[in-house]
Amino acid sequence: MMFRKKMLVSLFAALAVLTVANITQAAQPAGFDDNEIRIGQWGPQTGPAAPWGSVARGSKLLFDIVNEEGGIHGRKIKYFIRDDMYNPAQTVAVVKELVERQGIFAFVGGVGSAPGMAVKDYLAANKIIWVSPSAADKEFTQPLNPYLFAVYPLYKDEASILAKYIVEKLKTKKIGILYQNDAYGKDGLEGAKERLATYKMSLVAEIPVEPTEKDFASQILRLKNSGAEAVLMYVSPTAAVITLKTAASVGFKPQWVSANTLSDYPLMFKITGGLWEGVITGAFGETPDSKSPLMVKYRDAAKRLTPQERWGTFYYAGILFADPIVEALKKVGRNLSTEALLKALNSIKDYQTIGPRITWTPKQHQGTDSVMIQKCGPGASYIMLQDWTTNDLATWKK
Amino acid sequence: MPFGQLLVEGLAIGACYGLFATAVVIIYKTSEVVNFAQGEMAMFSSFVAFHILAVYQYPFWLAFVIAMLFSILLGVLIEFLFLRPAKHPSLLGMIVITLGAEMFLMGLASWKWGAEQKFFSLPLDPSVTYEPVKGMIVTNWAIAVFAVASTIMLLLYVFFKYTRLGVAMRATQQNKHAAKIMGIRTERVFSIAWGFSSLIGAVAGMFFASRATLDPAFMMEPFLRAFAAAVLGGLMSIPGVIIGGGLMGLIENFFGYYWPSWKPIVAFIVIILVLCLRPSGLFAKHYVKKV
Amino acid sequence: MDYFKVEDLCISFGGLKAVNNVAFNVEKNSIFSIIGPNGSGKTTIFNMISGIYKPDLGRIVFAGENLVGLTPDRIARRGVARTFQNIELFSNATVMDNLLLGRHIHMKTGVFTGAFLWGRGSRAAREEIRNREIVEGIIDFLDLQSVRNHFVASLPYGKRKLVEVGRALAVEPKILLLDEPSAGMNTEEKQDLNIWIKDIQAECDVTILLIEHDMNMIMGISDRIFAINHGEKIMEGLPQEVQSHPEVIKAYLGEER
Ligand SMILES: Nc1ncnc2c1ncn2[C@@H]1O[C@H](COP(=O)(O)OP(=O)(O)OP(=O)(O)O)[C@@H](O)[C@H]1O
Ligand SMILES: [Mg+2]
Repeated sequence: MMFRKKMLVSLFAALAVLTVANITQAAQPAGFDDNEIRIGQWGPQTGPAAPWGSVARGSKLLFDIVNEEGGIHGRKIKYFIRDDMYNPAQTVAVVKELVERQGIFAFVGGVGSAPGMAVKDYLAANKIIWVSPSAADKEFTQPLNPYLFAVYPLYKDEASILAKYIVEKLKTKKIGILYQNDAYGKDGLEGAKERLATYKMSLVAEIPVEPTEKDFASQILRLKNSGAEAVLMYVSPTAAVITLKTAASVGFKPQWVSANTLSDYPLMFKITGGLWEGVITGAFGETPDSKSPLMVKYRDAAKRLTPQERWGTFYYAGILFADPIVEALKKVGRNLSTEALLKALNSIKDYQTIGPRITWTPKQHQGTDSVMIQKCGPGASYIMLQDWTTNDLATWKK
Repeated sequence: MPFGQLLVEGLAIGACYGLFATAVVIIYKTSEVVNFAQGEMAMFSSFVAFHILAVYQYPFWLAFVIAMLFSILLGVLIEFLFLRPAKHPSLLGMIVITLGAEMFLMGLASWKWGAEQKFFSLPLDPSVTYEPVKGMIVTNWAIAVFAVASTIMLLLYVFFKYTRLGVAMRATQQNKHAAKIMGIRTERVFSIAWGFSSLIGAVAGMFFASRATLDPAFMMEPFLRAFAAAVLGGLMSIPGVIIGGGLMGLIENFFGYYWPSWKPIVAFIVIILVLCLRPSGLFAKHYVKKV
Repeated sequence: MDYFKVEDLCISFGGLKAVNNVAFNVEKNSIFSIIGPNGSGKTTIFNMISGIYKPDLGRIVFAGENLVGLTPDRIARRGVARTFQNIELFSNATVMDNLLLGRHIHMKTGVFTGAFLWGRGSRAAREEIRNREIVEGIIDFLDLQSVRNHFVASLPYGKRKLVEVGRALAVEPKILLLDEPSAGMNTEEKQDLNIWIKDIQAECDVTILLIEHDMNMIMGISDRIFAINHGEKIMEGLPQEVQSHPEVIKAYLGEER
């Protein structure tokens, strides 16, 4: 008797939830009309992660260029940026506001793992397309999420490529790693280990650090004592600064190699007081001074349209994350619909702008496994070390 | 194990924790407030030094002196604006007030200087190091930390023992009512305590900033550690918190050398153990409070 | 001509009129005692005089100046010292340090005290020597020699009460408020205290306001007595007059003793 009653109550509750969910879905404004396509992005414009917020503004530059050139099949792109302060709760709020009040057809970019994870399912449930989170979590594309397409190379692939470079090009046998004790750092650790295993080598030191830690003395001494000649860094910018300052003070001078998260050399050079010079990093985009025609075009447009913005890696990352959706929208033509855009995105093959070459299929939405390898030269200049390189060990492709 | 090096590093960072914990304790002793804005007060003063260096390009010593004067003013102001108007707040009320001050300062700093990390360094040549014993490198930074921390300790000792104001401060700590009745201007004592505390915190803050980066959130973690060191030392005695800070630095570094993933919490585990065995800290004389 | 007086003093705590319309006049150099049953408002009067409570109404006039509205430290600097019913000492300091703190308002020489910084012949050093002389005098007078370097927290209750009297004396007050100084003392200590209070009156240029429950002591040393109940005056007069007043006997003597 009791049991029955309870079941009834929960049934009702479930029904109520479903109805409410249906109502919100029904009430949702359309994401496009005859004159415009509404695209949104969240990203920290204030707060501690604000330096990464330039991604969202970079995408704006691309849409401005597209609109200047007359839009896509008669439709202009209306672009919305919302500040989530890198706070997942805030991300949920701003995304809901955009979807339920403004009517959004698709999202691009979106800085951060945690903010992205917080809205991933909501977007999929509302059948809103999301192209290229500005974070490299395999959970975005594995298992397959039909509405989510990723450009950002996975940290694991990058670490594998970097480890290969260290062993084969730098001829270094003793490799250590300093990694942030979370998904980001652990992916890096896994990639490096996997690569070294193919040479029957192992890391001489695996040192975790917590994201908030400020004193790395013992960790650096462990690395130093391990005899590491090259050290991989999968840490935050602040942690990298502490690492380099501490290492310099105890006379530890290995070859530092880091993830693309630290590939904004002018910033890293400035906040390390110049210690960043000589650091090798992965990169998800061409160097800022690249002479490739598309890079020249974007750079000139930036000078003209947004002279106040620094032409930094994370700024033009916003462009390369948004390029594929523009390409797909062009392919779709005038008869726009979510299904049509999905179809176009799913058939993007070997598409490359200023970032890695990407391919999406209906079964695989992780677009690439390639990074470049670059090095910080004097005065925070970029030195190309190795062009786009794929990870032959990438497991997700199989 | 690089014993000597770990010892130097542990003691140096420990001295920083101890110095900052001293700032916490000076306020706690006089007004029984755990000042959660302590870290952000130091952060703000460090930013002022940074601003003077970066924008006005003054020499370091001048920027330092101005930032120090500013920090005193800031401490006095926060006491005056945030704490004094609350006449008889509860413990919780005090915590809320200082948390409010913390958020206010953090917001103000983010607005003024942005959230991006800044480079901050002390005029200490990082390339010059000393190696008194083989395998034990002492940097100028560490020497400066030891020198500054011991100078401040000595000055505080003289201040509390031999100056009229210092004695009045100690009296106020022990019994506010009695101090008032003796003609001690207790409100002024609070102002001065906040000014001093802010000053010492700012000095420690600059040491921390020069080791990492300067950004609006950079003092949050050091504050926690310094607070823990203060609890370890008993929250009441300045020599106690200095020893607490040193212990903290040593435990973290020696332990963290073998078990890096435990480094961030080992000190807190020790503190919980200490508090279970000696609830008033390692070095507190036991106070029996009158009611 | 009025040396110290209170007028129309009123204070209430959440509806309870703790002190209501109290007025009295204290002559210079006299001992003026306040008696009344528990909770009748005696301590509250002292708290208003020393500035810890601000009266809702009324004036407290000392040497022509109204003290109402001044902070406790300002009132102290005008020469009003007191002891507390429940003892408010600096309990983690020695007897000597407590008495020296009583000298706070007499320390004029700025930042550093004593000979530490300025040398032996300096003004600061002379001042410190004088302060120490006065404190030594008080220690001798109250017979505190044996405990002079003891921490206050370690002393028995009666001794602590004495230290508090000593600290108030160190202020060299013009008005001395003593709130039940003999409470918790044994008979012998009480007798000593009785004599000392008399001596203080005779030797120092001080006016004493005294709250006491010990009627023998009150009757022996008071110049005038003020009796209070439920915050209101019952009567004021010479000891004999008060002793024989029927309402006092009913309200106070009848129940207590
Ligand atoms: N801060 C306060 N808040 C509320 N009520 C108070 C306060 N101070 C005193 N009272 C009340 O005022 C009344 C008078 O108290 P007071 O301490 O003056 O009595 P007393 O005559 O000194 O008594 P005793 O002989 O017990 O010392 C009491 O009812 C007391 O509860
Ligand atoms: Mg009383």
